[in-house]
Amino acid sequence: MEKDQVFMGEGLNRAAAVQAGWNSCSFGMEMETDELNCVGSCFLNPKWHNSMDQSDPFESALSSMVCSPAASNAGSTNFPASGDNTMMTDLIGKLGNICNTGDISPQSLIKPPNNNNNCSSNTSCYTSPLDSPPKLNLSMMGGNQILKHPSLVPVSADPGFAERAARFSCFNGLNPQVGVTEAEFVQLTRVSTNQSIMVTGSQVHVPDSNKNTLQDGNSCSDKRNSRLSRCSSPENGDSKDESSISEQIPGVGSSIKAQNDANARKRKSMPRGKAKETPSPAAAEAKIAEENNKSTAKRSKQQNDSAKAENKENPKPPEPPKDYIHVRARRGQATDSHSLAERVRREKISERMKFLQDLVPGCNKVTGKALMLDEIINYVQSLQRQVEFLSMKLATVNPRMNANTEALLSKDMFRSRGSLPHSHYPMDSSALAFGLRYQPQQGLPMNNGISNDTQIKFSMNPANAALHKTQRLQLPPVDGISDANPQIGSFWDDDLQSIVQMGFGQNQPQSCQSKHS
Amino acid sequence: MMNTPQQVKNPSTSLKSRFITRFLGALTKINAEDPISSPSPTRIFQRYRRIKVASNKSMAYSVRSRRIWSRAMLSRFRSRRSAFSGRRSSVKTTNCTTINVTINENKTAKGGLDMQTDELRELVPGGEAMDVCNLLDETAHYIKCLTTQVQVMRKIVDFCHLSK
Repeated sequence: MEKDQVFMGEGLNRAAAVQAGWNSCSFGMEMETDELNCVGSCFLNPKWHNSMDQSDPFESALSSMVCSPAASNAGSTNFPASGDNTMMTDLIGKLGNICNTGDISPQSLIKPPNNNNNCSSNTSCYTSPLDSPPKLNLSMMGGNQILKHPSLVPVSADPGFAERAARFSCFNGLNPQVGVTEAEFVQLTRVSTNQSIMVTGSQVHVPDSNKNTLQDGNSCSDKRNSRLSRCSSPENGDSKDESSISEQIPGVGSSIKAQNDANARKRKSMPRGKAKETPSPAAAEAKIAEENNKSTAKRSKQQNDSAKAENKENPKPPEPPKDYIHVRARRGQATDSHSLAERVRREKISERMKFLQDLVPGCNKVTGKALMLDEIINYVQSLQRQVEFLSMKLATVNPRMNANTEALLSKDMFRSRGSLPHSHYPMDSSALAFGLRYQPQQGLPMNNGISNDTQIKFSMNPANAALHKTQRLQLPPVDGISDANPQIGSFWDDDLQSIVQMGFGQNQPQSCQSKHS
Repeated sequence: MMNTPQQVKNPSTSLKSRFITRFLGALTKINAEDPISSPSPTRIFQRYRRIKVASNKSMAYSVRSRRIWSRAMLSRFRSRRSAFSGRRSSVKTTNCTTINVTINENKTAKGGLDMQTDELRELVPGGEAMDVCNLLDETAHYIKCLTTQVQVMRKIVDFCHLSK
C-alpha cells in the first residue's frame, strides 16, 4: 500500500536520523540542522525498516538522534541539495574533527575539512568546551555520516571544539544547547569511548545493506565506518559514512546517561517509533527520543519545543522538518521511557487514523478519535452488509454461469478496473447466448422489489433499526434472516419466493405476484 | 482506494484480478452444483450463504497470508470445514476471547475509545488479538479488500441483470 510504504520510508528516514547517532541530544544537541538531513536520506532505503527491527539496542539508542533537518530535506531527494551539501560538509568536517581525536578508526572518514564553522552545530553537541576530542569519536562519526564527504576534519585542537560547538549551536539556533556542560561532555566522552565500540559494533558497515550491518555485533572502532554505511540509503554511497556517524553518536549519547537500562528502554521505544513513524512531518518531527539524562532532556526540550511547535503544523522553520523518528521528551512532560514509548505509540495510532480517514469517505469533517472510529466502524459494517446483500442478489439472479460467462465477466471487470462501482457495462451480444434467461420486465422490478420491500419490512423490525445507520445500504443485514425471527422470516419467504419466481421467469404463479407488493 | 499500486499493476497480479478469478470460479461451481431450479427460499438462502462464504474466502485467499485478518479468516474457514456445517467459528472465538480480555485490560490509556476499539475488533476478523496500532492497519487493508469485493460483486450482478 502506498501509504504503508510511505510510512516506512518516512520511518526509515527518521530512524536514520536517529541512527545518525545524534544521541548527542544527550548534550542537548539536536541534530536538527539541515546538514543532518543528509543523514535522513540514508534512511530512505526501505530495507532500513527491516534492518532496524533487527538492530540491537544500540540502534534504538541511535534512533533517538535527531537528524531532522537533514533528514527531511534528504528525504525527498535522498541527498541534500548542494546548499545542504556544503553545510553537511562543514558539519561533517567539524564532526570529523571531534571524532578524529578519538579512537575512531575511520580516520579516513574524518578529513580535515575546512568547514568547521557550519558544522559546529552538530559538533558542538559532541564537542564540549572540554577538550576531549578523542572521546568524541562518535559525534564525529555522526558528522561524517551526515556529510557526503568521507573526510572529516580531524579534531585537531580542543579549543576549536568549543568554538565549533558554539557555532554549531548557533547554526541551528540552538543556542541553549551550546551549553553542553562539562559534565555532560565528560559523560559523553566517557560514553563515547565505551559506546563507540558498541555503537560501531552494531553498525557494521555494509553499503546498501543496512540489514547486515545491523546484525553485526559489536566490533571494533574500525567498524564505525560500517556504521556510516549502515545508515546510508541506497542512493547514497557516501551516506554510509554519514549514517555510521550518526549511529555512533546516538550510541554515545545514550551511554552518556550512564544508565543503560533507561537507554535500553528508550531505545526499545525508538525502534517502534522509527519503524512505524508515518510520513506526517508533524508526527515525525516532533519526536526525538531522549534517552539521556534529564538535563539534556531539558535542553533538548527547548529545541524540541520549538521544533515541535513548528513541525507540528508545517515544518520548515529553524528546525527543518525531520523525517526521523525522534522521540524527545517535551517541555513539561515526563522524560521516562514509559511516557516516551507511550507518546510514540500515540503518534503511530494517530498516523494510522489519518490514513483511515482518507480511506473512509466522508471522514474529513470528523474530528476526534472517537467519532472517527465510529465512522470507520459504520463503514466496515456497511461494507460487510453490502457484501451480504450482493451475495443474496447473486444467489437469486444468477442461475446460470458457464465458462463463457465467466470469461466475459472477467474481461469486463478488468476492463472496467478503477471505475466506480455500480456502473452498467455494455452488454455483449454474445452474452445473450450464454443462456441467461431473465425476463427483462421482471428482472428490474425484482431488483427494486428486493430493496424496497425488504427495506420496508425490515425497517419495521426494531432489531434492524440500528442497522440503518448508513445511507449506502439498501437492504438491512441479511443476517436478520438467520435470527429466526418468525416475522422477518415470513416476510422474507414471501418476498423471496415471489422474487425468485419472477426472476427466473420459470414459475410465475399469479399468487406470487399478488403477494409481492 | 481502488487505485492503489496493487491494483494499478498488471491485472494478472493485482488483488482485484485474483479475487475476480477465484470468485467467478466459485460462483460457477456453486451454480453447477446447485442449479436454481427450485425456487424454495431455503435453497435460495443456502445458496446465498454459500456465495457469501465463497466471496469472503476468495478475498482471503487472494490476500493470502499477508495480513492478520486474512490469516484469521482462513483459519476460521478451515476450522469450519472440519466442524459441522451448522457450527460457526465458535472454537476460534473462544480462544480469542481470553486474549481479548488481556489486551483490553492493558489498554487503559485509550480510555473512552475502548468501546469503539472493541467494536472494531469484532468487525475485523482476527482483530481480537491485535493491539490498536495493528488493528488500525488491518482495518485499512480490510476496508480496501471489502470495497474490492463489493465492487466486483456489483459488477457481476449488473452483468447478470444486463444479460437478460
